[in-house]
Amino acid sequence: MVAESIARRSLIKGGLSAAALSVGALAAGSALAGCAPSSKSEEPLQFWQFYAPAPQQTGPLVQQSKWFMDAVDSWNKKNSQQVKPVFIPAYTNPANTRLATAFAANAGPDIFLLSPGDFLRYYNGDALLDLAPYMSQDAIDDFYPEALGTRKVGDGIYGLPMEIEPLALIYNQKSFEKAGLSEADVPKNWEQMLDVGEKLSTNSQAGLVLEVVPGYYQNFTFYPWLWQGKGDVVDPATQRPQLAEAPFQNALDLFGQSIKRGISPRTLPANGDLPVAFKAGYAAMWQSGIWQLAAFKQETPDLPYGIAPLPTPKGGEPRTILGGWAWVVNKHGRNPEAAAKFVVETMGSMSEESIKRVSDWCFGAKSDMSPRKSSEKLMAANGAFEESHMKIFKELILPTGRGEPRFPPVVYKTVSNALQAVQLAGASAASQADTAQQALEAYLANYRGAPLL
Amino acid sequence: MTVQLSRTAGRREVETKRVSLSERKQRRAAFWFLLPDSLGLLIFVAVPMLLAIGLGFFSVDGFGHAEFIGFGNYLRMAADPQFWSSTGVTLLYLVIVVPAIFVVGLGLALLVQQRIPFIGVIRSALFVPYVISLVVIAMVWQFMLTDKVGVLNGFLELFGIHGLSFLGDPQLTLGTVVVITVWFQMGYYMIIFLAGLQDIPGELYEAARIDGASAWQRFRFITLPLLRPTSFFVLITSTIAVVTGGFDLVYVLTNGGPSGATSLLIFYIYQQAFLYGELGYAAAIGSLLIVVLMAWSLLMFKLTKGGRFDND
Amino acid sequence: MTETTRTARKKLKTARADRRWTPQKTVLFIVGVLLGLLTVFPLLWMVTSSFKPADEVNNLDLLPSHPTLENYSYVFSQVPFARYMINSFLIAAAITVLALFFHSMAAYALARLKFRGRDTIFLMIFSTLLVSAPVILIPTFIVIRTLGLLDSYAGLIIPAIFNAFGIFLLRQFYISLPAELEEAALIDGASYWRIYRSVILPLSRPIMSALAVFFFLANWNAFVLPLTITSNPDLWVVQIGIANFQQQYSSSWNYILAASTVAALPTLLIFFFFQKQIVASIKSAGFK
Repeated sequence: MVAESIARRSLIKGGLSAAALSVGALAAGSALAGCAPSSKSEEPLQFWQFYAPAPQQTGPLVQQSKWFMDAVDSWNKKNSQQVKPVFIPAYTNPANTRLATAFAANAGPDIFLLSPGDFLRYYNGDALLDLAPYMSQDAIDDFYPEALGTRKVGDGIYGLPMEIEPLALIYNQKSFEKAGLSEADVPKNWEQMLDVGEKLSTNSQAGLVLEVVPGYYQNFTFYPWLWQGKGDVVDPATQRPQLAEAPFQNALDLFGQSIKRGISPRTLPANGDLPVAFKAGYAAMWQSGIWQLAAFKQETPDLPYGIAPLPTPKGGEPRTILGGWAWVVNKHGRNPEAAAKFVVETMGSMSEESIKRVSDWCFGAKSDMSPRKSSEKLMAANGAFEESHMKIFKELILPTGRGEPRFPPVVYKTVSNALQAVQLAGASAASQADTAQQALEAYLANYRGAPLL
Repeated sequence: MTVQLSRTAGRREVETKRVSLSERKQRRAAFWFLLPDSLGLLIFVAVPMLLAIGLGFFSVDGFGHAEFIGFGNYLRMAADPQFWSSTGVTLLYLVIVVPAIFVVGLGLALLVQQRIPFIGVIRSALFVPYVISLVVIAMVWQFMLTDKVGVLNGFLELFGIHGLSFLGDPQLTLGTVVVITVWFQMGYYMIIFLAGLQDIPGELYEAARIDGASAWQRFRFITLPLLRPTSFFVLITSTIAVVTGGFDLVYVLTNGGPSGATSLLIFYIYQQAFLYGELGYAAAIGSLLIVVLMAWSLLMFKLTKGGRFDND
Repeated sequence: MTETTRTARKKLKTARADRRWTPQKTVLFIVGVLLGLLTVFPLLWMVTSSFKPADEVNNLDLLPSHPTLENYSYVFSQVPFARYMINSFLIAAAITVLALFFHSMAAYALARLKFRGRDTIFLMIFSTLLVSAPVILIPTFIVIRTLGLLDSYAGLIIPAIFNAFGIFLLRQFYISLPAELEEAALIDGASYWRIYRSVILPLSRPIMSALAVFFFLANWNAFVLPLTITSNPDLWVVQIGIANFQQQYSSSWNYILAASTVAALPTLLIFFFFQKQIVASIKSAGFK
């Protein structure tokens, strides 16, 4: 009996002490987690993004990777607080758990790239540092309000955009020729777009590609169609949802109809690689962004393609959306002050170097519109807008643009559910719009956080 | 007499001592034998599990801020249509895949048990998908199932069927995921059934044949009953594989889409946690799933009398 | 008739029966071949397509008309695949060895030692069988970080060792061994450790080799946890490498399929070299 109880006790004791040990270590660890990073300012600041150092050796990524490495090197040479670029694979993939897990465990990066679609989650989670105190007024004024606006709350600036990426209709001139269509047939309104799309659809070619994969990006491509009919998800002035209105239903219907009529594919041709899809004749028209210009140049330099503003609905107005990633600083990082200085000095100071850097990014490393007036001037001086496609973007499309809205996840998801249901499951736009409106009304009644823009 | 008596008593004493000594020794040995795994499971499975269950009672924003809300997350679940539709998708998936794996696995085992030429090669061919990683499986199938130009659509074109979108049409996607799941799992279960079949004494079949039993009767009254332990094993392990493996496939192949058609519960949990930052809510759903799965394990444990699969 | 001649004659009979083509056998043979071809087709398609040049990869011919190795040389020149494969190999091998060792120890205690609380402990282990990674990913990450294992080989290896399934299967096997096994050793006064080492472990060889293959495959194929706990590209494993590669070259199927083939090759090789062992050991190991 004695032996038995001793053995049992030791077994239990062993188990218990192990449990205590691990729980204790855990508690200690999470208690430390809050302050540990800031006390270790010697450690290099981690800069998470999807460009550098690129694991690939060729392709457009190499140039972009080099741009990032140069920007970081230039800072590291002058400052004792070093910055380390960390390449996160599949950063933009909604299936990537990396960033969310790190923040949930209080181990987020110090500096990272953030899209407007994700902005409010991080802002409302009190994760972002205000960069305004580190910027000069000149520099703040140098940013276009369309680009900076969705990163501002009050006077605070919680991210510096590195690019402006408008959406347009990109069309395959070879496909048009083959179908006996000309430049004059490039659609101006929704009806024409569907009709022309129908003519261009064949057994292997999709007439018109609209985004199908659920996620922030699909919503991003959807909003301009909604705005064209003078609708909105949430009215910025009143902060009330507008989804029961006709424009939302019409835009949903557009996505639904294009699939029902066999014009748009249910999955992306060539896995979403536009130049390749055009070259292989898998797609004739595609709603996509300015970044494709660089992709065409890189992948299919000889392929003829055209750019047109997004077609508008009857009685609507031409609108597009302006995307682009921003540099943001983690408020609870290792050394937020140094991180903010790094971001501002690199991307948002009036120094010649900073202006040139943004210009080099938008014209060179990528093909984008500049978020800063001074950099745009430099781009113009370098002949960025002489090329015909860039010119169309600059003169015809950019002026109709509105910054990508920032919504909390519930709003994003409500729109996404309605869109997916109508587009891919053939649900009725009216009933989906009603459901979405009700869901948002309930949610926004209790919403606390920065305004939805 | 006295001498003898005391001698037996003495022997008895020694024996008890030896028994208790050996028992003590066994306990001590058991402690050390169990230590590494128990500690590991405690730290890397039990602690996270308890943390997850605890988290379910908080509203957590993904940035270290938490607020205790009691059963708030559980109440929210009841009113969340997407939770219910995900539950539906999960049940449908389970109800199709588990029996399908069972039938296909058994069918293939019956086939490769035959003495036919090249049966070794055929058996290997049926097993080989099991060794491929899901990331690769997803890529290969994505390639084959491409709309319009993929090889499967090219093949169907020969029969005048065109325009099917296996990964883009909500009516087809779950079925596609089911087929792929069965495709890469069936080989493993085929081998297990094969082992079970080969344990059945051949004399039983011979006797039945002499009695004039048909092939179906032999299957129904000999094979099936004697396969019971194997069948139990297959049902348990395939449920595990389906619940946990289903996530990976959906994650890499469909992302829960189109329009939620392949949004398995476990994928919905992941979405809530990582896409929407609703860690508390995700943890609550996860806890519910953990409880249900543990109940299922315990039920199986009881049914199989402590994890034994023999008949007696 | 002696035993040996009887078995010899039986063998001869079955061998002769094997060679005879009855109609039933022909049908089964055709069915088997068709099913086998259907099953390997996706893999065959992957491999043959990976030798097609970019402009041919989407056509419907099984064999490339202009086979090329360019896709492979491109993949290897673009991405440090060799490094990823070494990582995957080291990590999967370490997990396999440690897991087999620990699981067999635990299973031995649970199956063959008598102590109070044994059933309770086993029940607790058994009940974690179905707890899967996504549900506990964030807490697991917190644990791993607290232990200082982020971004290290240790972090990729240690948390992956522990799962109830291996213990469960090994225990099944140990229970089925005859009780007399240890008795002789015990009478000789051998310690339990010695019995485990010199009696139990050698007997476990078949089931261990089967489990080794399964553990190795499962960990070679692991994706979510390695992605979540590594930032350092030097620690990337093959699955992350190809997932990232696909992200960058989403439409270049010729490259993606070459990368997929490279990632699948080690597991295929293991299968072809060890398939007899795998199949035989699944059968002999009491996986039922």
